[in-house]
Amino acid sequence: MHIRLRSLRGFRCHRGRILRLSVCVFVVASVGFAVYEIHAQNSLPDPVSRNVSYLNDIHPILAERCYKCHAGGKRKGGFQLDTRSHLLDGSENGPVVKPGNSAESRLVHVVAGLDPETVMPPEGERLTTEQIALLRAWIDQGLPWDGVEEQAEPKRTPLALRSVSPPDEPASYPNPVDRFIFAYFAEHNLPRPERVSDGVFLRRVYLDLCGLLPSPEQTQSFLADTDPHKRDKIVETLLADSRAYAEHWISFWNDLLRNDFEGTGYIDGGRKHITEWLFQALYENMPYDAFVRELIAPTSEKSEGFIRGIVWRGDSAVVQQPPMQAAQNVAQVFLGINLKCASCHDSFIDHWRLRDAFGLANCFSDKNLEMVRCDTPQGKMAPIKFLWEELGTIDPAAPHPQRAQRVAELTTSPANGYFARTIVNRLWARLMGWGLIEPLDKIENESWHPELLDWLAQDFIEHGYDVKHTLRRIVMSETYQLPAVLEAPNPKHYVFRGPLPKRLTAEQFYDAISCMTGVWQKNPKFEIPDGVPTDDRVGVRAWRISADALTRALGRPNREQVTARREEQPTTLQALELQNGTLLHEFLREGAKNLLATVPQDAQAVIETIFQRGIQRSPLPEELTLARELLGTTPTEENLTDFLWIIAMHPEFQYVY
Amino acid sequence: MQKQRKTTKVTRRDFLAAASAATLSALAARYPKKAVAAEPEEKIEPRADRLIVLWMAGGMAHTETFDPKRYTPFEVGLSPDKVLSTFPAIPTAVDNIQISEGLESIAQVMDRATLIRTYMAADLGFILHSRHQYHWHTGYVPPQTVAAPHIGAVIARTLGPLNPDVPAFIDIGQRFNVGEGEELKAFHTAGFLGSEYGPFFISDPSDAAGCVNPPAGMTPLRFESRQDFFRRLVAHSPIMQFGSDYQRESLLRSLENSYRLLTSPAKKAFDLSSEPKEIYDAYNTSRFGLGCLLARRLCEVGARFIEVTTEYEPFKHWDTHENGHTRTADLKKMVDRPIAMLVKELEERGLLDRTLIVIASEFSRDMITEGKPDKPVKDQVEVPAVMTELKHYGMHRHFTGAGSVVLFGGGVNKGFLYGKTSDERPCSTVENPIGIEDLHATLYYALGISPKTAYIVEDRPFYVTKDGQGKPRMELFA
Repeated sequence: MHIRLRSLRGFRCHRGRILRLSVCVFVVASVGFAVYEIHAQNSLPDPVSRNVSYLNDIHPILAERCYKCHAGGKRKGGFQLDTRSHLLDGSENGPVVKPGNSAESRLVHVVAGLDPETVMPPEGERLTTEQIALLRAWIDQGLPWDGVEEQAEPKRTPLALRSVSPPDEPASYPNPVDRFIFAYFAEHNLPRPERVSDGVFLRRVYLDLCGLLPSPEQTQSFLADTDPHKRDKIVETLLADSRAYAEHWISFWNDLLRNDFEGTGYIDGGRKHITEWLFQALYENMPYDAFVRELIAPTSEKSEGFIRGIVWRGDSAVVQQPPMQAAQNVAQVFLGINLKCASCHDSFIDHWRLRDAFGLANCFSDKNLEMVRCDTPQGKMAPIKFLWEELGTIDPAAPHPQRAQRVAELTTSPANGYFARTIVNRLWARLMGWGLIEPLDKIENESWHPELLDWLAQDFIEHGYDVKHTLRRIVMSETYQLPAVLEAPNPKHYVFRGPLPKRLTAEQFYDAISCMTGVWQKNPKFEIPDGVPTDDRVGVRAWRISADALTRALGRPNREQVTARREEQPTTLQALELQNGTLLHEFLREGAKNLLATVPQDAQAVIETIFQRGIQRSPLPEELTLARELLGTTPTEENLTDFLWIIAMHPEFQYVY
Repeated sequence: MQKQRKTTKVTRRDFLAAASAATLSALAARYPKKAVAAEPEEKIEPRADRLIVLWMAGGMAHTETFDPKRYTPFEVGLSPDKVLSTFPAIPTAVDNIQISEGLESIAQVMDRATLIRTYMAADLGFILHSRHQYHWHTGYVPPQTVAAPHIGAVIARTLGPLNPDVPAFIDIGQRFNVGEGEELKAFHTAGFLGSEYGPFFISDPSDAAGCVNPPAGMTPLRFESRQDFFRRLVAHSPIMQFGSDYQRESLLRSLENSYRLLTSPAKKAFDLSSEPKEIYDAYNTSRFGLGCLLARRLCEVGARFIEVTTEYEPFKHWDTHENGHTRTADLKKMVDRPIAMLVKELEERGLLDRTLIVIASEFSRDMITEGKPDKPVKDQVEVPAVMTELKHYGMHRHFTGAGSVVLFGGGVNKGFLYGKTSDERPCSTVENPIGIEDLHATLYYALGISPKTAYIVEDRPFYVTKDGQGKPRMELFA
C-alpha cells in the first residue's frame, strides 16, 4: 500500500483524475511488488552492440507493451510515446528519455524495475533482458526513428469546403480550371507549353472517357473538322455515348467497390456482386450522392453487395467482419479516410481512434459491438457515431438499416467536404495521372492546390453531383490538353506541369487490340441490358470477362481489397506474359486472321490500317520500310501476328500520352 | 524530315517537357503504394540460399505419415475411436524416429531431416481449407484489409533472385480452375509488395518448358526475329527522339528482361525431357513427382523460392473425406520416392546444405476430432459408430491439434525430432507446440531474413511474421 500512496501523491494536483487513475495505479502496485522481488538485484542489462532499427526492433516492443496506455491520444501519466517528439516531451513528472544516455533514462529504469515504486508495463510479463538491451541501445544511439515517417502534426484539410472563387487572371481562359492552373504556373515560374496536337488530344480523350481508341474514320473526320470548338464537341459526343462511358468507368468502380464476377466468398454465399445495378447507374449517370447513398444503405438486393462485404467461411475477428469492412470501405472509398489502423487500435499514423472505427462499424451491425483492441475485448460497448460528430448524430436506438441510412446521409452531406473532394480528386487523378491530393485515400493531407480542389468539389455539388459534369470541366480545360510530362514526379514535392503519361489499363489494352483487329472477347459474364444501343465497331469488351492471366499480369486487381490506383509499373513477370503467354498470342493470331479476311491483302494497306487503328497515325518512311521487310509483299497469318504484337508492345500503343 | 513528321500527327512539342534521366528510384517514386523496406540492421548469417516448400495440399494426417500411433487393421464392425493409425510404423535411418508405412524412401533420408511433430494450425472455426492455406502461406488470416504477400513473394522481395534469369518465386502444380480457386488465388500473390515479386506459375511441370518457350507454333528463330523487328521499329519511332521518358524506358526494360530470361541458358532447366530417362521415370509418380524433379533442376540454375504442391482440389488428394486409408496409400506412392530423390540428388550435387526443404500441410486429420480436442468445430464428415466398409477406414476429419512438418538441409539439425504428441487419442500436441509465426520465423531466419522485417504499406509497417512477433526456434538449427 505504501507504493500506492506514494504514486498517488504525484497525481494530487489533478484532483479530477484521481479516481480514474487509482485503479491503474493499484495494479502497478500489486504487480510491482512481485516483480521487485525477482529483479531487485538485477542491474541494467548492457545495451546491444549493434545499430538498432526503430521499425524492426523498437516499434514492436512499444506497440505491444506500451501503446495501450501511451499512444493514440492516451497519455497515462501525461506521457505518450507514439512519436519521437511526444517521447521527448516526457511525462508530467519530467523527461522520460535522455537521448544518448540510456542509463539515466527514466524509461529504462521503469521497464527494468529499478524503481520498485513504478514498474512498466504495469500488467503482464516484464520486458525481457533482450528488449531492455534494445531499448537502451536505441536511446544511446539517439532514438533513431527510421521506417515510420514522422508526420509533425500535418496540416489537415478542414472538413468543410472552403469557399473559393477562381482567379480572374488569366482572363483569356473561360474554364476556371485553367485560371487556377495558369495562375499556379505563373506563381511557380513554370513555362506554359502549348496544348497537344489534335491527334494526341483525340486519342487521349477517347481513352480517358470511353476507354477505346478512335477509329481511323473518327480520327480523320476530327482532324478535318475546322470548327475551333471541335475539341469541346468531341467531349460532348463521347460523354453522350452512355454505353461506352459506362463500359469504361465500370472498371474504375469495380476496383473501388471490390466488385467482380469471381472472387473469394462467392463459394458459400459470403459475397454478392452488384454489376447489373452498377452498369445501370453509370449508364444513366446517376447523381453521385444518390449513387453513394444506395451503396451505403441499399434499397435493393442488386446494390447490397458492396456494404455486405466479403465473408470467408469460419470464425473471424470483429475487425474482419462485415460491419467493420463496411466502416473501412465507406471511409476509404467515399471519404478518402483510412480507418484500417484504427480498426485495431488508435492509429499511430493519424488522428483516427479505435472508437471512431467501431462507432462507424456499429452503424452496420445488428447487435451492438463490443470494443476490441488488438484482438483483446475491452469490456465496453462501442459508441454509435459518425466519423465527424459535428455533422450530426445517429440515434443509437434506431435499428441497423436506419443507422446505415443515417450514415448515408452524413457521408453525402454537403457539409461534409471530404465527400465531394474525394471523388473529384479521384477523377482528377484518373485523368491527370496524379491527384490533387496524394495518396488518394488520405484526403486529409494537404493538396498541392487546395483552392482548385475545393472549387472543383463545390462546382460538382452545385451541378447536382454530376460526375460527367466534372469530367467535362477537366477535359475541356487547356490544362488537360497540356503535353504529357515525361519525367517521374517527385511525390514529396509534387509540382503540376501537365498530365502524366498513363499506361493502358488491362481492359483498355485488350479493347485497344480489338479496335485494331476487330476481334473482341468471348464468353461475357455480363449481358448488356436490352435497350442499350450497340456500336457496330465494338463487340464484347474486356471488362465483361473474368480476369485471366494476362489481365491480372497487366494490373486488373483481384478485388479482394479496395483498389484506388492500380499498379501501372511494367514488371518482368508481366512482360513474360506479354512475350510468350498463350492468351495474347492466340488473341493476336485470331486478330491477324480477321484482318487478312477483312482488309486488302496489300502489305502497305495492312500496315497503314494497323498504324491508324492502333496508334492513330501513318507510319514514318523508316517504319514503313521496316514493316514491309517483316510482312513481305503479302502478309501471312504468321507475320501479321508478329506485326500486331510489335505494335501492341509499342510504347505509343501502351501509353496514353 | 520535317515534312515527313507532319504526317505523324504527333508533334515534337507533345513530347517536349523538361526531360530527365529515368532512374529506377524515380520510377519507384511514381507509385505511392510501392512498399519500402526498412531493412533490419541485425545481420543474420543465412544458413540457406533457397527454400523449397513441398505442399501436401488438403490436410496430411500426422498419424498416417510422420507421427504413427498404434496401428489397427481394418475389420468390419471396428469402432472408429479404436483407430489411431491405419498403417503400421516403420523404422527410419534414425533410431528414435519411426514414420508410417509407405514412406520407406523418405525413411532412408530421415537422417538428414528435422521432424517437427507439433505444428499447431490456427483456430479458424468451421474449416475452409483455402483459409488455412492462406494463413500458412502468408501468416495472416483472411480477409485482410491489405493484400498479404505469399511467403515466396516476401522472400523474392527481400532477397531477390539468386540468378536474375530465373524467376525468384516459382509455383509448381496448382491450377485455379478448381473448387475454392478464387480463395487459392487470393494468396498466390505478391499482394501489396507488387506483382514484380509474384509467382511464376508452372501448373504442369511436364510442360514447364512451355512456360519459357516462345508461344506454341513459334520457332525460336521467329521469336528472335520478332524481338529484333520490335527493337528496330521502336528505335525508329518518333517518340524515341524526344528526351527521356521514364514510362517508356521501364516498359522497354521489362520486355528486355523477360526476353533475356526466355533466351538464357538457365531456361534449359525447365525442360524435363533432357533428364536421363531412368531419373525422369523415377520421379514420375505424378505431376507432383515431376514437380520435385523440376525443383531440383531449377535449384541447380539458381532458383530462390519454389513451391511444389500435390495440388489442392476439394475432396481430392490429401483432402480425404472418405476412403482415407486407401487414398493415403496412393498419396504416399505419389510423394515418397520423389521427395527422397530430391533430397538425395540435391545432396549429391552439393546443394542440400544451402537449400532448405519443408514438407508441410495446412493441418492434419483425425478420425474423430474436427478441429482441436478443446476447440471442436462443426463436423464436415459423418463418422459411423462402427465401420462396415473399407471406405470408412481413414482420417476423414480436419484436425488442428497437431501436425507434422519435415525440414531437410539448409542448416537444420540432421536426424532430429522436435515436439511430442500424445500416444492416445486425441494424439495432440503435448510439448513444444509451434504455430505459423514461429515456423515462418524459423524459415526466414534460415534464409537470413529477420522475422521482424517490415514493409511499409499505407504508411504502416506490415511485418513478415504477424506483428513481427515470430521467433525462430534456434534448437532446430545445427
